Formats: sequence, C-alpha cells, structure tokens
Amino acid sequence: MSTIAHRLELTGASRREFLTFCAKLMVAAPFGLAITDFLSPELVAQAVGAAKRPSVIWLHMQDCTGCTETLLRTSQPDLATLIFDIISLDYHETVMAASGHDAELALQDAMAQNDGKYILVVEGSIPTKDAGVYLKIAGRKGTELLEEVASHAAAVVAIGSCSSWGGIPSAGPNPTGAVGVDALIKDKPVINLPGCPPNPYILLATILEYATTGKLPAVDAFKRPKFAFDRVIHDHCPRRPHFDAGRFAKEFGDDGHRQGWCLYRLGCKGPVTHASCSTRHFNEVVDAWPIGIGHPCFGCAEKSVGYSLPLFSLAPINNATPSAMYPPIETSRGIVEGAAAGTAGLIGGMLLGAGYVAARKFDSKPVEEPTSHDDHGASS
Amino acid sequence: MKTAHWNYAVRTDRPLITAPLLFFSALALIALALSAWRLFGGLAFTGMNDDYAIGVWKTFNVMTLTALGSSALAAGLTTWVFNQRQLHVVMRTALTSSILFYGTGMFALGFDVGRPWNFYHVILPWNWNLHSALLEVSVCMTAYVALFLLYENLPTVLPARWFARIKPLYPYMVAAAFLLPAMHQSSLGSLMVIAGTKVHPLWQTQMLPAFYLIQAIVCGFASLILILMISCLAFHRPLDIPIMATLARFMAWGSLVFVVLRYADIVIRGELSTAFTDGWYAVLFQGENLFVLIPALVLLGARRRSIPRVLFVAAAATAIGGLVYRFSPTTLAFRYGRASIYFPSIGELLMCVGYISLAIALFILAVRRFAILPDRISD
Amino acid sequence: MTRHGPQRGSGETAEGFSRRDLFRIGASASAATLAATLPASAEERGAPADALGLLYDTTVCIGCKACVAACTTANNLEPDTELSGGIWQMPTDLNSQTKNIIQLYRSPDGAESSFMKRQCMQCVDPACASACPFNALSKGAYGIVEWEPTRCIGCRFCEISCPFDVPRFEWAKFNPRIVKCELCRHRLPQGLQPACTEVCPVSAVIFGKRADLLREAHRRIDANPGKYYQNRVYGEQDLGGTQVVYLSHVPFAKLGLPEVGTESRAHYGEKVHGVIYKGMVVPAIVYAGLAFIMRRRFNAHEEHARDEQSKTGREDQL
Repeated sequence: MSTIAHRLELTGASRREFLTFCAKLMVAAPFGLAITDFLSPELVAQAVGAAKRPSVIWLHMQDCTGCTETLLRTSQPDLATLIFDIISLDYHETVMAASGHDAELALQDAMAQNDGKYILVVEGSIPTKDAGVYLKIAGRKGTELLEEVASHAAAVVAIGSCSSWGGIPSAGPNPTGAVGVDALIKDKPVINLPGCPPNPYILLATILEYATTGKLPAVDAFKRPKFAFDRVIHDHCPRRPHFDAGRFAKEFGDDGHRQGWCLYRLGCKGPVTHASCSTRHFNEVVDAWPIGIGHPCFGCAEKSVGYSLPLFSLAPINNATPSAMYPPIETSRGIVEGAAAGTAGLIGGMLLGAGYVAARKFDSKPVEEPTSHDDHGASS
Repeated sequence: MKTAHWNYAVRTDRPLITAPLLFFSALALIALALSAWRLFGGLAFTGMNDDYAIGVWKTFNVMTLTALGSSALAAGLTTWVFNQRQLHVVMRTALTSSILFYGTGMFALGFDVGRPWNFYHVILPWNWNLHSALLEVSVCMTAYVALFLLYENLPTVLPARWFARIKPLYPYMVAAAFLLPAMHQSSLGSLMVIAGTKVHPLWQTQMLPAFYLIQAIVCGFASLILILMISCLAFHRPLDIPIMATLARFMAWGSLVFVVLRYADIVIRGELSTAFTDGWYAVLFQGENLFVLIPALVLLGARRRSIPRVLFVAAAATAIGGLVYRFSPTTLAFRYGRASIYFPSIGELLMCVGYISLAIALFILAVRRFAILPDRISD
Repeated sequence: MTRHGPQRGSGETAEGFSRRDLFRIGASASAATLAATLPASAEERGAPADALGLLYDTTVCIGCKACVAACTTANNLEPDTELSGGIWQMPTDLNSQTKNIIQLYRSPDGAESSFMKRQCMQCVDPACASACPFNALSKGAYGIVEWEPTRCIGCRFCEISCPFDVPRFEWAKFNPRIVKCELCRHRLPQGLQPACTEVCPVSAVIFGKRADLLREAHRRIDANPGKYYQNRVYGEQDLGGTQVVYLSHVPFAKLGLPEVGTESRAHYGEKVHGVIYKGMVVPAIVYAGLAFIMRRRFNAHEEHARDEQSKTGREDQL
C-alpha cells in the first residue's frame, strides 16, 4: 500500500483541497496530536502524506446513520478523495456500492487483506438484552459481528454517542439493553468519540494520527481523546462572558435571546458537557452548532447528561473551575503620585533645614538667671 | 540672642509686608484656589480612596494641628489652674496661635467633608447621635472656637472698655475653654477606637482618648515654646528663658506620663513583644515614644532647661513625636498588612500646606496689628 | 526658679494651690471616678423581631453574577464598565456604582476555590450607625441600615468604622452620596424581594426573616455535617450578629469575613466614650470644679492687676 501523498498524486486530487483539509485538521486538533503539531498546513500535509493509507472498516449497529452523514458533510476534499485516497474505506454499508452477498464478501476480504492492521469504526450502540437478538445484520447478531470484526482490528474507534456509551437507544428505560463498544470489547484499544454526531474532523484526525504515528491519541478516563474532549463547552463558549456578567436569555425570542446572551437559564448543558463543538462547528458553516444558532446545548456527548437530563432543566454545576475573570477577595487601592512624594520630601527637608538653621541661632550655653526681677533693659 | 524677663505683650514693629509674609500668603492663596476648585470638582483629585477614607486634611490639619493648637489649653491650665502667674504674659501668644490653628483646621475640614451644606445639624441637638465620638468632636470644636476661644481672644482685639462689659464672664468662659478642648481632644482619640482591629494592635487601645488628650497638652506646650522662640528670632525680641523653662518642665512631665502609660498599656494588653518584633510598626511605635521620651529626660535637668538650643530642639522633637503619634492610628497603622495604601495627591498636599501657611500668615499679621508677642518694656 | 507676684498666703502649696483647692479638686475627681464606674449601658442591641436578611451559601453559588447585574438595574446605578473599556460591567470591588459584587477566592495552588457575594451585612449593632454623627446611617424598618441624604455631611466616618468595609463614597461627585446595599427596601413595600435574591438562578442567596434564615442555615448544617466550615453560620453572633448570614465550605477568613469575635464594634467603641459622657455627668462635675477654681484665680488676678496698674500705669492684658 502506498503512502497517502503518492495515492493523491496518482489520482490527480487537488493539492489545494488537501491543504485545506490539513488546515481543518489543525482546527479540529489544535494541540494534543502529533500530526497537527506544526505551524502550517504544508507541514501537516507533509506528515500526513507520508503515512500509509489506513484501511478502515465501518460497522453500523443500532444507529441513525447520523455519524456517517457527518462524514459526508466534508467538502474539502470531496468524499471520493476522502474515502479512497486519504483513508481506504473498505467496508461501509451506507456508501459502498456492493450489497447483499457481495457486501459480506467485501467485509471478509477486507478483514483478510488487512488482518490486524485495519481500524474498525463502529457507529451505533449494541443491544445486549435477551442475548442481543434486537440487532441482526445478515442474520448475525450485532454482538457476534462486533466481536469477530474487532478481534482482527488494530484499534476500534467508537464514533458517536451511541457507540461510545449507548446514546439515544440507551435512554431510559433502555428496552434493548443498548451499550457502547467499550462495554463489550475489552482486548483491543478502544477510543470513544461521543457526540450526536461528532465533528467529522475529529474522527479523521484520530484515524490519521494512528496511521501516521501508529498510536492512538491520549485519552481520558472515559477513553475520549483529550485533544477534543478535555474541556466542557462552558469553558470555551463564546457566550461565556454573558454568563460571567449575568446576562441570560430567559425565553426563546426575548430581548436577551435576540442579543445572543447566555442560554444557561434555558437549560444549556454546556457547563457539564465535555465536547468541542464551540470551536469546531458543523457542516463546515461558521457558527453552525446549537448554541451558535441560539439553542441551548443538551449535552449529547456526555453520558449522564444527554438523553437523560431534561432538555430545558438547569444544568447542575458543581464546583466548576472558575474563570480568571473574577475580582479577588481583596483589591488594592491608592497610588503614590511621584509629584506628591517629591513635594512631601521637599517640604520635610525644608522644615528640617530651617529647624537646623534656627537652632544654631540659639545659644548653646545655659542662660544665667537674673539676680532681681526689676531689670531695666535687656541682659545679653 | 538677647534674653530678658517678659512683662508685657507688645505689637511688633517690623514692616508689614515682608518676604515671609508674602511667601506664606502665596501658599495660602494656592490652597484657597484649590479649595474653590474642589467645591466644583469633588474629592476625586485627592489621594483618598474607599480604604483610606480620611486623608491629611482630617488627620493632619485637624487631628494633628489642633494638637499644636492646644497651647491655649496647655498654657491656660498651667497659668490659671496651676497658678503659674508668670506665664500670663505668653497667654496671648498661646490664644492667638490656638485660634488660628483651630480656625484654619476647621476651614480645611469644611472642604474635606463631602456634603458640608448639611453641617447645620450641629446646632440641632435632636439630630445628634450621642453615641458618636465624631459628633462630640464636631459640636465641641465648633462651640470651642466659635464661643470660648473666641471670647478668650477678645481682650487682644477689643478696646478694654468694650471688653469690660463681658469681663465678669471670664472665669466661666475660661473654665469651659479648658473643659471643651479636653473633651474633643480626647474624642479625637475615641474616633479610632470604633475602627477596632483595623488599627494595629500597638495603637488600638481603650486608652486612646487619654493618650490623645495627654499628647494634645504636651504638643500644646511644645508648639508654644517653638512659636515663642521662632517669633523672638524673627522679630528680634529677647527670650525669657525662665518662662520657657517652666513650659518645658511641664511638657517634660506630660511626656513622661504619656510614655509610662503607653508602655503600661502595651504590657497589660500583652503586646510588649510586638512592640519589639513587628518590623516597621515596632520602629514607628518606638520612634514615637523616643522622640517624646528623650527630650523629656533631657529637660528634667534644670540647667539643661536654661539652654536655649536645648529647649528648641527638645520642643521640636517632642512636637514631631506627638504629631506622628496622633497621625499613626488614622493612616500609618490603619489597615495594617493589607494591600491598599494612601498618600496625599499633590493638590491635597498643597491645600494642606496652604492652610497651615494661612494660619502662619494671619499670625504674622496679627502680631503686627495687635499686642500679642511678649517683650520687656521699662516701667 | 524665682517667682513673680504677690506673697503667697498661708496654706498654699508650692504649686500655688491652697488646701481648700486640693480638697475641691479631689472631690470632683472622686465623683468623676464614681460616675465612670457606673455600669456602662452601651448594651448589645438585639435584632428586631421582624429583622430581614439574606442567607448566602457558597456551595450553591455558580458565580453567574446575575445578582450583580440585577442589583445595578434595580437601584438605578450606572454599571461600572471602567475595566472593560466601557463594554460591560466589570467592577473589581464594591464602589460607588456597585452595591453588590461576586468575588472569587482561590487558593494559591488552585485546589480550593469559592465565590463570595459581598454587600452590606445589615449588622444587628452597626458600627456605622454608632459612628455617624447625625444619624445619617441608622437602623430602620426591618433592621435595615438606611442612609439618609439630608443628614449626611460626607465625613466618611462610616467607612472607617465598618468592619466589613462596605460603605462607599462618590468621590468624584459634587453631591456625593454614601452608597451601600439597603436590601432593596424600595421594592419591599411592593411585595418584591431584593433584586439579587429574585434573580439568582440557583437560590444561592435567599431572602427572609433573620430567624427563619438562621433556622434554614442550621437545617442545612445538620443535614450535611462536615460540609460547611466549622458547621457554623457566619453572622449569627459574629461582631454582634448580622442580618446577612453566610454558609461556606472554605474558611470564612479566606472570603474576607473578619474573624474577630462576637463583640460589635459599636459596643467596643462606646465603652469609654459612653461611660465618660453618659448624661454629661462627668463633664458637668469637671466644669463645676474648673469654674470654682477659675473664679478664685480670676479674682486674685484682678486684684494683682489693679496693683500693677497703679504701680506701672499699664493696663492689664488678659
């Protein structure tokens, strides 16, 4: 398999589009990834271009196909270049041309050819109730399918909240026993990219990081990559200054809402949701994300928040790390004006000087007492 | 320098317009101009802020300078109550300087308060807050200057036959003129008691009123000695050393009482170690005491008391120590250890100095126009 | 040291006092001391039965500062936008445009942090009301400490005496006011709450009768032992008690609340002053003593002055 750069050259893909793509990777992962740890898209292109095109097998479980849709919403490069030249999307039930038995063969082939090297991307949650009968693909249970494909994969990427922790299907009472991938796959490295859907560039950055460096990005306790999930929305929300200043929209369409004030009182779950939507918007349109268009975040990426807390209830903020923009307990007042200090010093000096001069005018010898109190004139 | 026994107060015969008068008048005019500006511009140009809400005009022009202006109280008590009749001849100097210091101090105060148009409440007793030390100061100082100190200064300016009509009131007015300054000078100390722990423990004590009163009397002596000596120098008058020595002796005893009580207070409150270990605050505390104690010890010797230079330097040191003591709890030892600071702005400083200059200029004019400064005249 | 003047009569001491004078001075002094030892009546003033106040719980506050914005609007204050270059309200402390502020305490290592809502504590025995010479600050209805513009002379003694550094002054104005929280007393007659408690989204600060608030605070402490610092309500007894009380998960001193005991500043400040001037007994006694002495001295002086005038022809100079 040749490198990505070679492949792009062969197929005549636009270099400018590839550079734009690399720039978007830099936005998606401004820090925390080796492939974007550069100062220009050209250097990123160099690093990514030198990687071997990774083979990706994409499985759908209990999904809505939204995560696929999010991948389709990339335009630079176009989808074809993306799935053929940058990655090699060897199996994807929605976009692949094959169907039926041909599709199953494609899966077997892809697994055999890239045994131990392909990246398994899972979309959708896996039902486990009643021995997993609630999902069958080509006659096989989802649990079995997942286990088999994962056993030959190099790494598993769970894209979307459903495969990360259960998502919508797992909303109470979770009738199908839907769980995320990492509840079932324990012997392979799993990385969760929650979101409903997540930004596609996070997926691409993760896959390319693996392809380029051979390592998955650093993850947190919930196996979410730190470069995209280490902060809550609240901590990098453009409306945060309104929160800090106490300006809230109280109803949809009221004055505050029209002016773009904070949506906390409308139930925004930003303070308790780890995600990066505020800086990596969607559909490649600026400000195309929930808060950006005036709807409170509902925490789709966060397990205990999305699909479990009511949409418009207040987010429970517990000891959120305060921003630096608060006045401290004690402020300092008062300054010493230079002119004033100088004048005071001058006056003090003058007084001391005058005092010294005056003191010298007085006798330093005791004055004899006059012998009588009937003096006429002065005694010297 | 000539010496003689003073026996009468006499007008000075120097020319009216002299360089010093012009100098002090110029400074006074600057202060008056700045005062007019303050009327319209508010107080933001000063260095005062919400953490140091009282600045040099209150803490210096009023609190500190009325201590210098307590020579009427100090000399008066000594002359009348302690029957030192030979001091009668310096009483006019004491009275004039007192009313000028008090008057310009209260004039400065009028510009320091933010809403002076409400000051009329001072003559409406039903609006008084009897718990407030500041009320006591306001009412008492106003009554003192407007009634009793003024009355005491009338013999200087009124012809004798006019004053003769109100002369029978004299003992009762003077008794009040001793009581009232004792009250408000001690209340100036009470002002800082309610600030509690905002004042450094070396200064915060229930004895503050007593200390402020003693210091007022000590500074009153010191200022009278200094004014007499400088006036004699400036106006070429002979010095009366025995009188100066008497004043100095009383000053020394007052200083000793102050220092002893102050250390006793520190020990009783358990702050003795603080007085020696707390950095700059310990230095300030000891400095205030030493500037008052050392001159006192020196002046205990009768022979040293008759050396003019010793009198002058001792009085000056005592005045400095006393003034710093009265200034500390409001500014230097206030809000100790915290971030904010206070330093007067240039305008504020010029007004402070200008009001003092106003008092000095008026004093120069007064001793020229009226018989105030003592001299020896042949019988 | 020689002495001028007439011969001293018998019975006079070296300092010119007669025995009678000494007796009279001694009598005045004893009376004064007696008056001084009469029981001081600067009693701690209890909270009025209908005292209203606030309860602020630092464990609930999210630092949204809605209360800061609401207070400014409800009190017709100009928001302090100086630090932000005129863009948004960003006061750094209570000032003449800010009656209420949220501050942040953060430990140096960042491990401990807490928000702190600062405004007038509506003390049960306020130092400012005790210090104000003309009762411009006084405890009014519901125990709220009110400022009356027609009485205030702008002396700023209230700023000196307040242990919480609350009253602020309009330094730059020609007609400066003292600015501090008054529990939105203009809203109370309309049945409204103070603006801060009304707008708080999480009820970190609540409004009510002081007795009820203390009860609620203790209920929270009992329900969560160990959650609140020292299991204690600040302001229940501190500095004589305050009507604005605090529950905190960090030490109160870190929030800027002085831990200086239960005696109110007013009581401490009035101890000496109140005793000396109670009923003006001591000054009256002292005056009587002084007047008595002065009369004797003055008569003696007049006699001596007449002698001098006849001898030298010089008029007496008083």
